[in-house]
Amino acid sequence: MLKIIIEREIKDIVSSTKFAVTFAVCVILILASFYVGAAHYNLNKQQYDASVAENLRQMEGLTEWYSVRQHKVFMPPQPLAALVTGISNDIGQTADMLAGSQVITEGSRYNEDPIFAVFRFLDLEFIFQIVLSLFAILLGYDAISGEKERGTLRLTFASNLPRRTYILGKLIGSFAALSSSLIVALGLGCLFLPMMGVPMSGDEWIRLLIIAGSGLLYFGVFLTGSLFVSAMTQRSSSSFLLLLVAWILAVMIIPRASVLTAARAVEVPSVDHIANQRSSLASQLWAESRDAMTNFKPDIDDDDPEAMMKIGSMFSQFMDSLGTIRNDQMSEFSDRINEERFNAQQIQQNLSFNLARISPSTSMKLATSNLAGTSLELTKHFRDETRAYHKVVGDFIREKTGMNPHGGMIIKINDGSEEPEPIDPSELPSFEYKPIRTATAINAALPDIGLLALFNFLFFTGAVISFGRYDVR
Amino acid sequence: MINEISKQPSPMLQTNNLTKRYEDGVLALDSLTLEVNPGELFVMLGGNGAGKTTTINLFLNFIEPTSGEASINGIVTHKEPLEAKKHVAFVSENVMLYQNFTAIQNLDFFSKIGGHSDLSRDDYRDVLNRVGLAEDAHNKRLKGFSKGMRQKCGIAIAILKDAPAILLDEPTAGLDPKAGYEFIRLLDSLRSENKAILMSTHDIFRAKEIADTIAIMDSGRMIMKEPAANLADQNLEELYLQYMAGHDTKAAG
Ligand SMILES: Nc1ncnc2c1ncn2[C@@H]1O[C@H](COP(=O)(O)OP(=O)(O)OP(=O)(O)O)[C@@H](O)[C@H]1O
Ligand SMILES: [Mg+2]
Repeated sequence: MLKIIIEREIKDIVSSTKFAVTFAVCVILILASFYVGAAHYNLNKQQYDASVAENLRQMEGLTEWYSVRQHKVFMPPQPLAALVTGISNDIGQTADMLAGSQVITEGSRYNEDPIFAVFRFLDLEFIFQIVLSLFAILLGYDAISGEKERGTLRLTFASNLPRRTYILGKLIGSFAALSSSLIVALGLGCLFLPMMGVPMSGDEWIRLLIIAGSGLLYFGVFLTGSLFVSAMTQRSSSSFLLLLVAWILAVMIIPRASVLTAARAVEVPSVDHIANQRSSLASQLWAESRDAMTNFKPDIDDDDPEAMMKIGSMFSQFMDSLGTIRNDQMSEFSDRINEERFNAQQIQQNLSFNLARISPSTSMKLATSNLAGTSLELTKHFRDETRAYHKVVGDFIREKTGMNPHGGMIIKINDGSEEPEPIDPSELPSFEYKPIRTATAINAALPDIGLLALFNFLFFTGAVISFGRYDVR
Repeated sequence: MINEISKQPSPMLQTNNLTKRYEDGVLALDSLTLEVNPGELFVMLGGNGAGKTTTINLFLNFIEPTSGEASINGIVTHKEPLEAKKHVAFVSENVMLYQNFTAIQNLDFFSKIGGHSDLSRDDYRDVLNRVGLAEDAHNKRLKGFSKGMRQKCGIAIAILKDAPAILLDEPTAGLDPKAGYEFIRLLDSLRSENKAILMSTHDIFRAKEIADTIAIMDSGRMIMKEPAANLADQNLEELYLQYMAGHDTKAAG
């Protein structure tokens, strides 16, 4: 019996004009998102290579490592990030390793190409979030109520068909018909990647597969949801209206409202506030240094003929130690205040995510962006990677020059005795950026994938229960 | 003696003090008791709102009885609906089928969920011919079908189910005179296959022509039930109007 219902459902859907139109739109959008993603990846890759080369070029011809004024590192483009952009376009993708004691990432894509910030990207996640959910609602809103209106329910249930079998068959049939067409579209889209020369590792293919799977689960949530609502209403126009309201809430309102609510509930000190605190500490430390300087009393015999030289070297030692103390205090303070800010941010973020998870749209976003390595984790990951490299660069420069590279002024007197050799920029250890690991990414995505599966289950159970009491006349 | 009793035909369709009061308080059916035996064609007459469709819906467990019960082949429908429905076929007053499917595809689907997965295209063609659906419509989508054509498909589906009991709710509504006549012949042949048939209709003349038992319903009550043979030399229309009028004055008084 189940098989008969499934077959009929598939045939009915596939032969409808509604399906043909929505399917065509979906295929075009999915193909477009893959094409745009691949094209973007290639463009970003070119820009990245050019920036890296430019960074090395500006060191050429210099004769001393301490005269290297800047050394920038860049986040290398990732193929999956082109498909599920997540926050990758919002965060800084560049960091100067010689700018100071702190690593500051800057130069986000939206900063450089603000037009994209307005319209965002046509990426796979967007297609999933908006188009798949609408697709599911459009094809599922009249699953039950429509059959009642068309009068076919009555004749169907004049036979000894269990209601559970019927609704399960409807779900499986419609899911199979719609998801297989989506799988075809996604499969065609994937062809763009090798065709356009986007290098994908085996791990990345696996991650992309799970991303597609999460998309289908998300689609399933809206399909079972539509089935549920259509089994609660007698008329398809009311079920459409209800679903539209639910869609707006789930996709548009809940995620935003959760962020606002969490922002009210948990206070995070602003960046400006932190900068102010840092600069007031800095000026306080400078004032202390000045006081110490005026109290500088070298214990030197005035008659010593080398007194001036000795005082000079003692003073520079003294200044050096003051500088080190200042630096240590500054960085300790920065670390603490950044840590506090980070912790508050984490609390706020977790709160807003957990609130927003009422909507399956959030779970889908979190799962896919975690899988693509473009979740909020990316900010921290890039910062950690650049910080680790920052130390490597610091050690390298210190070894080459014997000086703290982040210390500020460097005075070196060249006595002109030897011809300076140009430095070799390739000696500089290179920045080996390691993207977020596959296992980490999948683990981070699992809870949300589970949540999507749970939504499917709950909505379907709801549909079975309400259809059990449905008036089939 | 025991053999004698077991040979007594037990009613295939039966209601026992069947009462239905809808949620809005309308008493649609008031203690209806009737029996239809195999090989019997039982016709329900009665004005709009008399309770005919309600009776049929109760047999199909589309609604739950307020009290009393309906049973098919001895199985109480609201207790074991799936088991009971195995033994019954149904044609509604306005047969609705899948618009995207052809007549044959619809027959195929509804026969399969009715438990017949062994039928061939020839079987479908034969039965459609039997109900009088023109050959060139067999493979047309239902979209363009007239009400009468849909009705014929519905009757074909009921025949294919080959159930011992048949419920017909104004099945001839929308049929042209020729099709109506053919339908009566069809009923006759189904009866000779020993089916128990319960039919509601507004067509008094056809009712008299074909029925074994004629009942008149009014306001949820059966106000008359006679073997058709007893009414052979009476004008049924006059009788019907008399009964209705009599009942009205009784109700008014
Ligand atoms: N779903 C319902 N809710 C409330 N009242 C109903 C419902 N269905 C039918 N009724 C009422 O029950 C009564 C019997 O209706 P029913 O449909 O059984 O009549 P009928 O004999 O089939 O009439 P017709 O010849 O017009 O088809 C009517 O008064 C009707 O208004
Ligand atoms: Mg009726």
